[in-house]
Amino acid sequence: MTPTPDGTASPDGSSSPAGRAGRPIVVALLGNPNTGKSTLFSALAGIPTRIGNYPGVTVEEKLGRFSHRGQSIELIDLPGTYSLVPKSPDEQVAVDVLHGRLAGVPMPDCVVVVADATNLERNLYLATQALSLGLPTVVALTLSDVADDKGITIDSAELGRRLACPVVRVVAPTRAGIDALGDAVLSVMQSPRQPPQGLDAHLSAVDPRHEPAAREAIARYAWIEQLLSGVVHRQPPASRPLGERIDDVLTHRLWGTLVFAATMLAMFSSIFWLATPLMDGISSGMDWVSGLAESLLPEGAIRSLVVNGVLAGVGGVVVFVPQIAMLFLFVAILEGCGYLSRAAFLMDRLLCSVGLGGKSFIPLLSSFACAIPGIMAARTIENPRDRLLTILVAPLMSCSARLPVYLLLCGAFVPNVAVGVSWLRLPALVLAGMYAVGVATAALVALLLSRTIFRGPPQPFVMELPGWRWPRWEVVLERVREAVWSFLQNAGTLIVAVSIVVWALSSYPHNDAVIDADVAAHRELLTARLAGLKADDPDQTDVAEELAALDTDDGLAAARRGAAQRHSALGWMGRLVEPLVKPLGWDWRLGCAAIASFPAREVVLGTLAVIYNLGDIDPGEEEGGTALVRRLRAATWDGTNRKVFTLPVALSIMVFFALCAQCASTLVVIGRETSSWLWPLVTFTYMTVLAWLGAFATYQIGTWLGG
Amino acid sequence: MSLEQVAIGSTARVADVSGSDSTSLRLLEMGLTPGVNVRVVGTAPLGGPMELELRGYRLSIRRHEAARVAIAK
Repeated sequence: MTPTPDGTASPDGSSSPAGRAGRPIVVALLGNPNTGKSTLFSALAGIPTRIGNYPGVTVEEKLGRFSHRGQSIELIDLPGTYSLVPKSPDEQVAVDVLHGRLAGVPMPDCVVVVADATNLERNLYLATQALSLGLPTVVALTLSDVADDKGITIDSAELGRRLACPVVRVVAPTRAGIDALGDAVLSVMQSPRQPPQGLDAHLSAVDPRHEPAAREAIARYAWIEQLLSGVVHRQPPASRPLGERIDDVLTHRLWGTLVFAATMLAMFSSIFWLATPLMDGISSGMDWVSGLAESLLPEGAIRSLVVNGVLAGVGGVVVFVPQIAMLFLFVAILEGCGYLSRAAFLMDRLLCSVGLGGKSFIPLLSSFACAIPGIMAARTIENPRDRLLTILVAPLMSCSARLPVYLLLCGAFVPNVAVGVSWLRLPALVLAGMYAVGVATAALVALLLSRTIFRGPPQPFVMELPGWRWPRWEVVLERVREAVWSFLQNAGTLIVAVSIVVWALSSYPHNDAVIDADVAAHRELLTARLAGLKADDPDQTDVAEELAALDTDDGLAAARRGAAQRHSALGWMGRLVEPLVKPLGWDWRLGCAAIASFPAREVVLGTLAVIYNLGDIDPGEEEGGTALVRRLRAATWDGTNRKVFTLPVALSIMVFFALCAQCASTLVVIGRETSSWLWPLVTFTYMTVLAWLGAFATYQIGTWLGG
Repeated sequence: MSLEQVAIGSTARVADVSGSDSTSLRLLEMGLTPGVNVRVVGTAPLGGPMELELRGYRLSIRRHEAARVAIAK
């Protein structure tokens, strides 16, 4: 069988056994979740020709193409489903495709039902439903090697006779049975068969008080038991299977919870710490490219656009790739070996109490590193309501981009005093408090939303705990590749665009005369302030230093850069929002910094450095951080000697950044994952309102307590 | 008596699944039909879901869902 990933039909398609001149046969791959369907898809068609969402829903559509004995075949991977009576959008899509009711998706000519050989009884439930559709059908028995190991033997020829359709044993990773499966597809296309009869006989035996759908389910299992009698033989294993013994530990109330905590800690810390060197590498690489661009391009608007607009935007996108890749590597491994379901099983009670479900745990935990991979990991939540709720609250987890803001402000403005015991310091307590603020707000929002707009009948938590198996590396790598690619392709361009817009806002309008006047006025102001300060005033050195800096080339350039930004559209917007941010204790410069940090909240410190005439320093480094802290400590309200940065203001900034949605990438990813612009808008609005309220309360209470 | 009350490690035979909503149908579709034998493997902490073994595979359901499954005496 030769996969043709380029999607072209094989030239000799006209002489195909099915006699469909040139037209490919459309084959739908239908099966329960966790049956090795993705592995079978790769074995048949190789790399998918198309991955996207079905129109109007966030259900993944995966298409592939290959040719078998000269016949071109188009493969549609349907979402995993337990039944053809749909209960979720995923299952609805599978049913709609099978009936040819989904616009833009061709009606399948043939169905391949993927059935897990280790769990045939339940898998045949869907298979017998599919047979009654009347389409040419083939049953593929996957995981046959695992079934052999478990001592399960299946008489596939006899099962095929009873089901009136070919039943083919496959071991997808080794490609065993793949050719036979292709042959079976061509053969059922040539000679369609009558679907098996037998359900009706069992229907009459079911208690008539049941609903029709329930009666059918009961009758179907009775029929399946009959179909399988004498077909499946179980050789009782000499000892209890390893998988069961592993499960006894991993789903144990105490041991399972401990192993779970250790696994999550390992996963979380590696996303946090292992990704850091890679991200630093990417940052250095981007710095090098920016430096190169700076040396190649003449000074001016183009250079500024390339370096501060485009390259800064691209860097802001690429820097997320290590975290996304790392998280999806973990998630795919945990999913592949069956642990993801166990994790959801253990965490379900806790998350249920705030209106979420067990499967929300991993997306929320990973959001502490970065909300973007976290939101993408919410794809593993089948239930659409739980998935959306998880996506909406995930950005409230304090991500690693908030950490520099917390660290700088805690270090600079929170008194370093012991709280109770000598090792517990107030700055550390405030830092922990910021994480707690995010978690508590997320819990409240989830609870509130699940009781109001997401109110509905309780969603069933009926979840299979699949058998333990080794993850298939090709499936794992495909998950990682797919996650990284979909982020770069779909979110990347938009994030770069937002970054360019913010660059333009902070660079224009540009008027040299205004800038010169501003710098001169600033020099006068500093001179006057210095004259008014006593020699022992703590601000004396800082003000003298800032004044002296204006006489150096670098200092003057930084002051001009700051003046340019203060007189740009961004500066104007900062003054415009001043009445809004004043109740938070902020001046218009802080308003500017908050607006400029919309693409990414870590930008806020860099923006503050530029606004306070420090130029392009790196506040994340010790030297830059110290310089920024000293400048912030000395900053006063325009025309007064009143300090801008006090403890209540620092706390109000931190609470604002803990709760706000200042991350364009997160919003773009929410838009992509929900296929709608409504949800990023909702997220931005509710988070900004909460951030404002939180910062307002913090500042007002802080001032009241302090005053 | 319902499946919720079955002790860890014991096996029980399903008598009926009450209710006629999608949750009850899903329980039936997953194989919890009258007459089937179910072993309670364990439960998650803090009154979390139950882990069951039936028809050769393992399934987890929440307690209030297990309460819908009546057990034969």
